[in-house]
Amino acid sequence: MPRALEPQQTPAFFVRGPSPLARLVFFSALSLALIATDSRLHYLTEVRQGFIALLHPLQLVANAPFNLYHASTEYLTGHNTLLETNRELSEQALHDGAKLQRLNELEVENEHLRSLLGASQIIAQPARLGEILHMGRDPFSQKMVINLGTRQNIRPGQAVVDGDGVIGQVTRAYPFSSEVTLITDKELSIPIQIERNGLRAIAFGAGVDNVLDLPYLPVNVDIQIGDRLITSGIDGVYPVGLAVAEVTNIERNPDSPFAQITSKPIAGIKNHRQVLLIGIPEIESALGTVINKTDGKTKTGKPTENSSPVTPTPTGSASQNVNRQP
Amino acid sequence: MSTVSLKHVYASMLLALLFQLIPWEGLALELQPDFMLLAVIYWLLRAPHLCHIGTAWFAGLLIDLATGGLFGQHALAYALTAFLAVSYQRRLALFNIWQQTAYVFFLLLLTQSTVMVLKLFGGDDFPGWDYYLHSFSSILLWLVVIFSPIGVEAPPHKS
Repeated sequence: MPRALEPQQTPAFFVRGPSPLARLVFFSALSLALIATDSRLHYLTEVRQGFIALLHPLQLVANAPFNLYHASTEYLTGHNTLLETNRELSEQALHDGAKLQRLNELEVENEHLRSLLGASQIIAQPARLGEILHMGRDPFSQKMVINLGTRQNIRPGQAVVDGDGVIGQVTRAYPFSSEVTLITDKELSIPIQIERNGLRAIAFGAGVDNVLDLPYLPVNVDIQIGDRLITSGIDGVYPVGLAVAEVTNIERNPDSPFAQITSKPIAGIKNHRQVLLIGIPEIESALGTVINKTDGKTKTGKPTENSSPVTPTPTGSASQNVNRQP
Repeated sequence: MSTVSLKHVYASMLLALLFQLIPWEGLALELQPDFMLLAVIYWLLRAPHLCHIGTAWFAGLLIDLATGGLFGQHALAYALTAFLAVSYQRRLALFNIWQQTAYVFFLLLLTQSTVMVLKLFGGDDFPGWDYYLHSFSSILLWLVVIFSPIGVEAPPHKS
């Protein structure tokens, strides 16, 4: 049987350097100090950015074989598969095109109506295509890392979506990559609206795969299994009307004043590698001007560029209500 | 008669970091062995004059960077593990391979538990018992390394 660790060093007779206990105490104190600094004082953001930028080449090397594999499988796709996807996609494009034509007309009409009402225009939010570098390695949080960073003008707070719905929000931007917190993370919340009846609420991540919680809704709330939750857009981060989740379970317990509602995110983050990053809209005129019409354009509302998890500002809905009254 | 040089230690740690940075997904991510910790423990037990608690601490800091957690969590856990590994290192050399493996397994579990306690203090949720699967896959990898030529063959002897 082989002996592990066979080429044993002759043990040093005299202690070299500080004793192990002294080293342990020193390094423990150092790490506790680091933990405290990082969690409360936020001095280390730049340090982290620098180190992540240093790690970036290593990350690229580690990703290389997988990228090569993906590229080669893409290259070796069969003729039939290509034809099939092509047909499917053109069919899809036809359907979408019909819808888009109607959308264009509606947009123009909406803009016109808004200008009649004196409401500010909704500004189109530019989007960028990013690629997922890897999923988060920390089993305690729901995160992933994408290949766009501050060099590409990505800022913390930007919304991340895919073709089906909302994925999450950029929470840390490094020079060449950025960290996206998924909506299922415990620390992220997203203002939503039930598509069926327009009821507004806030969905919180449950910290588990594929579960979103809707706490703080009364027991008698009008909600059904299968209801689609869409973004309400009042936070100024997510555009209005993106699909977020579908209600999967409702527990109405008479003992508790709140119903326990869980839902399942619609966006399939595990399915594809590309995501869209939506720019933070400049909404100063969108919120401020309507309430104080007399002030005219001089007053601007506060821009809600919060890098922290979304805090909804109810001003948007309030302004719309004010607006509707004659 | 030094058969292992500092170059070996740092090269293997760099390699471990590279393995750690591979884009693991799904089940593979859940079963991913802690390459860095294994490398650190291996050198701590085999060459304590080259790899000591400070090295382990720095390796932990790298893992903190890679996982995007708070600075210092893995570093503290690695330092604690390194202390236990170093303090029993001489006795361990007399043990047979299975006793050594059991001790390494204990160290792996301890590191994971320390990280978990720190994370729970930081306000995270308990991730479920399958969190400890990392330790099991790590110890399997340890056995593979120990029984393979890398583990036992001494580097060419120079005198």
